[in-house]
Amino acid sequence: MVDLSGWWDDYFWGAMAVLRVFAVSLVLTVVFGLIGAAAKLSKSRIAHKIAGAYTIAFRGTPELLVLLIFYYGSAVTLTGIGKIFSSQTQFVDIPPFWAGSFAIAMIVGSYATETFRGAFLGVDPGHVEAARALGISNLQTFFYVRIPQMWRLALPSFGNHMLSLMKDTALISIIGLEEILFVAEMATAVTLKPFMMYMVVALIYLSITTVITLVVMALEKHANRHLEGAR
Amino acid sequence: MNLDFHLILESIPKMLAGLGVTFQLLILASLLGLGLAIILLLMRISGRWYLSLPAFIYTYFFRGTPILVQIFVIYHGLPQFEFIRASVFWPILREPFGCATLALTLNSAAYVSEILRGGYLGVERGLHEAGMALGLTKRHRFFYVTTPIAIRLAIPAYSNDFISMLKATSLASTITLLDMTGVARTIVAQTFAPYEIFIATAIIYIVMTGILQRGFGLFEKRMSRYIMQ
Repeated sequence: MVDLSGWWDDYFWGAMAVLRVFAVSLVLTVVFGLIGAAAKLSKSRIAHKIAGAYTIAFRGTPELLVLLIFYYGSAVTLTGIGKIFSSQTQFVDIPPFWAGSFAIAMIVGSYATETFRGAFLGVDPGHVEAARALGISNLQTFFYVRIPQMWRLALPSFGNHMLSLMKDTALISIIGLEEILFVAEMATAVTLKPFMMYMVVALIYLSITTVITLVVMALEKHANRHLEGAR
Repeated sequence: MNLDFHLILESIPKMLAGLGVTFQLLILASLLGLGLAIILLLMRISGRWYLSLPAFIYTYFFRGTPILVQIFVIYHGLPQFEFIRASVFWPILREPFGCATLALTLNSAAYVSEILRGGYLGVERGLHEAGMALGLTKRHRFFYVTTPIAIRLAIPAYSNDFISMLKATSLASTITLLDMTGVARTIVAQTFAPYEIFIATAIIYIVMTGILQRGFGLFEKRMSRYIMQ
């Protein structure tokens, strides 16, 4: 424990970086998932095909590879564009934070697409028809009829997606974000106690995933509160 | 953007060598992981707290932390201890391949034991009772009644996990192992052509995923052959 004493603040800021990535990519995941689900449920055949290709590509490729494609791919493209404007350009990249958050959100979004699609299909079509009969607009039907019912159905799987999102954030250290794995590497170089330093990282992740699990359980209870009497 | 197809063709032989390492990791870790998962499952369902609690903590830890962190703890962390360097396992743990296999095995065992438990819990109570009424012993009931049904119920989730394992093997490239992703990364480091190489690699992974999915689909069909449609 003595070896750890000087590193608490580094671990704290590392954990903050992880949580920031998590927050940004969680929002993007929901956006990508909703767009994907909308495309899969739409009548347009092109939207259907594109969404299908998206889910197959991102569910079949290792997360690490997606991250590398996004980061190095964007760097090569941006450097190429930069060279057009000024020949002195050496290397331009998207910050690892944004490249990583975006890549992780694209991956988990492809899983969320299927979850959301199933959840939208689970909403009783009679309710949507009832809303139409009452003269409620499409937009209002979406927000007041479909969303409140679908999120209850989507929550159990979406909770799992949140956990994998959290665990995928560890990969961003590979493209150079200074988060907790990076701190552990630095601390190891000084203290020569790698097991302890990496175990701290594992325990930080374990506590965050525990909190997420508890929050999802509470949300599920909240979403199903009107069903308690019925069961 | 103009893609260099010549470069892709040139690097395919190297990638196939990496594919071998990926397959070795996948097969070895999933077989060992399945064995460990069965032990964990038996501990979980034993009904004795001193067996089920450690199994629960084990799965909780390995499912709650990223695989990358587990790989780093094993690869960078374990050599810290003198007794590990002195033990008979050192020749295995010294090599990145051994460490990656160990990490993937431990990780998949945690996930698979939960999947098997789901299958086990999904077996109808009535079938147990029927077995009891027929005078089958506890062991016979487990092997001839519960297990075949539990396996069928667990296949869809297991196939998903197997595919995640395939994707997780790519993390072995972070500890200098030259699996398919590792090979791709070295080629990119030399040529700096990320689109060509990484996307070609991704396509190989996607094709492998598709084949695995199809294979598990057929297996599930075979296991369900007694189910009335």
